[in-house]
Amino acid sequence: MPVFPSVEWFNAIKDIVNSDPAFRQLGTVDSVTGARCGSKIYEITFEAFECTGVREVGENDLRDMDFWLEQTPAQWKEMLDNIKTNGAADLTHTLNTIDLSLPNGFAQSHDGYRRDAFYRFNQSIQDFFNASSKIDTTYAPEAVTA
Amino acid sequence: MANETVAIPANLRAKAQEKQWPDDLVESALATGATPEQLIGYMDQGISADQARQFLAAQAGGGPEPSKELADKAALVNWPLDLIKTALAAGAAETDLMRFMDMGITAEQARDFMSGGGAQPQLDLSWMNVPTEWNTRAKPTKHGLTLEAINIGRYGEIPDVWPYQTEMPRGAVPIPGVESMGYSIFEKQVVWSDSCARLYEEAIQRRWRPATDVPWDTIQPLPDDLERAICQICTHISEKEQLEADVIGRWEPDISYGYHEVKLFLATTVFDNARAVEVFRKRALSNGGGLGIQSPGWGFRSIVDARNFTEMAVIQFVLHDSLTLTQYAYGEKYAKNPAEKFIFARAIQDKARIVDYGITHLKFVMMHRADRRDEMQRYLDKAEGMMLQDDKKDPATREAFAIYFGGGKDKIREGLAIYREMRKKHLEQYLARLKWATIDRAERLDPGMRVFIQD
Repeated sequence: MPVFPSVEWFNAIKDIVNSDPAFRQLGTVDSVTGARCGSKIYEITFEAFECTGVREVGENDLRDMDFWLEQTPAQWKEMLDNIKTNGAADLTHTLNTIDLSLPNGFAQSHDGYRRDAFYRFNQSIQDFFNASSKIDTTYAPEAVTA
Repeated sequence: MANETVAIPANLRAKAQEKQWPDDLVESALATGATPEQLIGYMDQGISADQARQFLAAQAGGGPEPSKELADKAALVNWPLDLIKTALAAGAAETDLMRFMDMGITAEQARDFMSGGGAQPQLDLSWMNVPTEWNTRAKPTKHGLTLEAINIGRYGEIPDVWPYQTEMPRGAVPIPGVESMGYSIFEKQVVWSDSCARLYEEAIQRRWRPATDVPWDTIQPLPDDLERAICQICTHISEKEQLEADVIGRWEPDISYGYHEVKLFLATTVFDNARAVEVFRKRALSNGGGLGIQSPGWGFRSIVDARNFTEMAVIQFVLHDSLTLTQYAYGEKYAKNPAEKFIFARAIQDKARIVDYGITHLKFVMMHRADRRDEMQRYLDKAEGMMLQDDKKDPATREAFAIYFGGGKDKIREGLAIYREMRKKHLEQYLARLKWATIDRAERLDPGMRVFIQD
């Protein structure tokens, strides 16, 4: 039962989408995407039709990403719980909806151009997180208590 | 004539030996009036000596006799007996000949067909020695065999200036005398973006089908004010997406063949525009509503009136499409059902590609023609002013968005606050994109627009 956030958790999602023909049918996705939850930052690399790698990185690596998704641990938990309950994000928990609901946005970037990868590949990245409905997630203590 | 001995030219003799046509056969053929060139042509076509001998025999009236039924039919349609015999000698079946007659083929047509259509064509084949770069072996990448993957050697050299007026593909060899196609754009900096080949492939791979992909059955009846709001929004979007398709379609024929990556990508954007027109029109007409009123179109004029490609690209793709992209993002957030959610989410992806092209093209221009910097600012001065006219004179679009965002006519104040937030988001992202393209517009933004980001 993978713990969120962790490399193990993201790798579990990676394995699901890479074996899912529906993910491939969404088309090519080329993005270096980040996920920031509390003090933890993960880099998720998409290339062509698959997720090619996940690793934990540091603050300085954010600069090399197209964008990263950042919200509080509790907000991450709410989003993932919603996905688990509904099989996919409902109308109020999609990445774009959350992005427009947070004061600083969910998708953040140091680059006004590269951030648009969030828009160009939005449905593939949404599908990536929707795939978490297929695993049983447990949460790091900070995600539960924050 | 047939009994005369005719000398065989050396080249024909050599060919006849190669193709195993005996001298007596060649002499007989020449005696019937065939030219050496014709006979060499027959030999090159693979006609054997036996076939030739049968043909000559038939021509001399020595072919097989037709059945009475065939002879009667031939008489009925005026096919002479010698023609029938010739055809039978050449291997034609009686049933085929009956069928040809039934089809209305005349004796003259049949004779022409059997003679090989008249004089043999002279083969050129010099084109096979064309001095293009040969032995090219592009390899598929993880993305497949992409445009970028085949941009190798000379085929990948994208010239700063394309010198040809014709439709000659880049990397081919020109021939003299071909008429001009009327292109007017021959400079790379006028249209180029380093992203266009990649964006073309992305557009092709990420396509979707409104008719069957959208979960149309999830649309439920909405309160009248919300249905009218979404229908007005759909009307507005359909209108401006169609305009964009028309504008891009008008520029396509101006771009010369040297920059085919741009032409191909812009073709996908026209398709994206068409799909947006389609899907938003379908939404308007699928839930008991209908279309709304048209837009005043002030902003459209600055796009349509653009006199050069980059002016159009900056106004349409950077200013206007940035706003449309933000409208789609907010539309996705406030969607009332999964179908609308799906529509706006997919429209976001499509619109983001053309914004990408617009901003990377602008940066390319700035990197290669820094002297055009103030020119770009002036286009945006004008276009922002025209866009503001739409804000002032198009209450329908503003109010429709506000009702949709707020959740009803009775919540229009909340909705207008969200509308202003949307405009602020548009301008923040617009300025950030321009900054990436080395255009600092924060201080030059139209004062009427600055109001949105000062809230």
